Amino acid sequence: MRLFAQLSALGSSAMLLLALIPLWRHTVRAYARAFTWQSLTLAGLTALTAYFSGDAELYAVAALLLGLKVVVIPRLLARMDRRFGSEIQPYLNATTSVLTAGVLVLFAYIVAEPLLLASRLPTRGGIPLALGLIFVSLLIIVSRKRALTQVIGFLMLENGIALLAVLAAYGVPLVVEIGVFMDALMGFLVMQIFVYQIHETFESLDVEQLSRLKD
Amino acid sequence: MIFLWLLSPPLAAALAGLALPVRPARLVNVVLALVPAGAAVVLWQRALAGVPTVWPAGAFLRADALSTILALCIAFVGALVAWFGPGAGREDGYQPAQIRRFTALSNVFTFTMLGAVVVNNVGVMWVAIEATTIVSALLIPLVMSKASVEASWKYIVICSVGIALAFVGTVLAYFDFVNLAGPLGGALNWTVLLAAAPRLHADVIRLAFVFLLIGYGTKAGLSPMHTWLPDAHAEAPAPLSAMMSGTLLAVALYAIARWKMVVDAAGQEAFANGLLLTIGLLTVAIATFSLVLQRSFKRMLAYSSIEHTGLTCLGLALGPLGIFAALLHLVNHSVAKSTAFVLAGRVQHRYHTTEFTRVTGLLATMPQTAAAFAAGLVALLGLPPFGLFVSELALFRAGFATGHPWATGVVLTLVVIAFVSILGHLAGMLYGPPSEGVSHGEPDRWMLLPVLIPVAILLVLGLSLPSSLSGLLARGVEVFGR
Repeated sequence: MRLFAQLSALGSSAMLLLALIPLWRHTVRAYARAFTWQSLTLAGLTALTAYFSGDAELYAVAALLLGLKVVVIPRLLARMDRRFGSEIQPYLNATTSVLTAGVLVLFAYIVAEPLLLASRLPTRGGIPLALGLIFVSLLIIVSRKRALTQVIGFLMLENGIALLAVLAAYGVPLVVEIGVFMDALMGFLVMQIFVYQIHETFESLDVEQLSRLKD
Repeated sequence: MIFLWLLSPPLAAALAGLALPVRPARLVNVVLALVPAGAAVVLWQRALAGVPTVWPAGAFLRADALSTILALCIAFVGALVAWFGPGAGREDGYQPAQIRRFTALSNVFTFTMLGAVVVNNVGVMWVAIEATTIVSALLIPLVMSKASVEASWKYIVICSVGIALAFVGTVLAYFDFVNLAGPLGGALNWTVLLAAAPRLHADVIRLAFVFLLIGYGTKAGLSPMHTWLPDAHAEAPAPLSAMMSGTLLAVALYAIARWKMVVDAAGQEAFANGLLLTIGLLTVAIATFSLVLQRSFKRMLAYSSIEHTGLTCLGLALGPLGIFAALLHLVNHSVAKSTAFVLAGRVQHRYHTTEFTRVTGLLATMPQTAAAFAAGLVALLGLPPFGLFVSELALFRAGFATGHPWATGVVLTLVVIAFVSILGHLAGMLYGPPSEGVSHGEPDRWMLLPVLIPVAILLVLGLSLPSSLSGLLARGVEVFGR
């Protein structure tokens, strides 16, 4: 169980670190690659939890994660990347972004305190990191200017929530998990449609141009 | 069995919308839209007896009085939109492909909302509510334009993020539950969760509720997460706005109300009420001041929805009388706002604009539509003899009775400000010389007849609350554990 605790903390840290990459890199390829590695780590952690907890359902979840977020979605992202190119200068520069992310992770530790006190699972050490990942993903979404990079931020947010579910409760019940996967896939596909539509109607993916609607 | 009658007709109508030519599809759609309404009435009869309807033995689906109230609203608005949807008027200018898309997706939208209020599992409820976002976002740019694409992008990004946070809250509550009781089957079922609530950790459940309130509050249009709402409602086709305003916001409030029960049962009622009061007050304030500034009638209706959502949210925090008022207000608003939006759509198609300055003389150009639209708006203003007058009055009484004189006073002032500004806008639309180049008359007057039903409902609710409805609402309050 010691080993399990250490591995899960290691995996969670790796996922959080991968979420920091978009804060200073500006190419969609770098974003997509960080997301793919992050999803792979998540699938690995889920399988690891399945092994140590003896909950066979989690193997199925890990397999779904692998298929959807390591294979299918990265492919679709790569296809969009070839068409639309990279992030322009975001609202926050690299230094400010990373510093803000640091503050958010500290905040996550404060928020997670009652959870750490309540939990008895060996994986609890990673819970603040999962919350940190959720907050950093929110930062990515609000500070990027391109629709495509916002989508990747959203995908990372979903990874953060899946990580939290695995660490805190060894995953949610399978029927909910499957529903979440369906929503995630549908949501991604619909967002992809909109990315194409924005590109068509505005001839740019810059969401700064999406500011016609005002009171 | 009753759930089959409730949930399958929208799916069948969606398929019919895709498979059949436009005119027969419309007929099938209208007929099928009445079936869930009938099913909801049956649920109503059962809820009056105080027995929740459950199916199957594992209670995957469960409808108590609260679910029934929501199901009634959803089925009503679904039927209204089936009648007044694209292709109804002769002048709305929708292409057959657009009508087909609307029929299919709007029915799936209805299905996801009905599903959300009758599933017993909070996780599955979350899945259904997230699905509402995805389906409705696809319908906003029914007519592609820069504005509609922008509105739908904002909608899907803000609401998906919000709803993701609600899932964080769900996971946190589940975590605490599993921590205490182990991974039981059905651990995310309301009934199980509610029974276990008194033993949950206070800190964890409070944290979970903050996430849930921000998450579902985004979807409900509570401030400061409401920013997607006016754009989405203004740019969406009017019948979709009717569904979003009339029922989607109510479904999100329903999720908040359900979780509030768990928090209450965990002994954190004061915490939940404090949060709801603060956010409700902020919502009403921001909506009111935005109402004053509006230049377009669809945006005005959207901000009015935010205001009413805020009022309902306040009611949930004001004890049994407040909850009763909130539920009544929810029903009233659902009927009045969906009607106002479908009529606003007719006005928009005639005038080809939604700006106040270019919409004048409505009483001369479209007398019947104008009269019904005016009735809807007067109802929304909370004037007698319409239902919202009664529910708002009950809300203020609850506010004073539970010892919040200042907050209630502020809300009362805000409601009066909103009243004056909406009335001013309405007068500007109805009277004055008709805008140039706008044709006169109502070629499809018979089409408009069903609008008398919502007006009659609002009148009845305003003049005397029927005992069958007040009984249902009282059962709804009982669900909150009073």
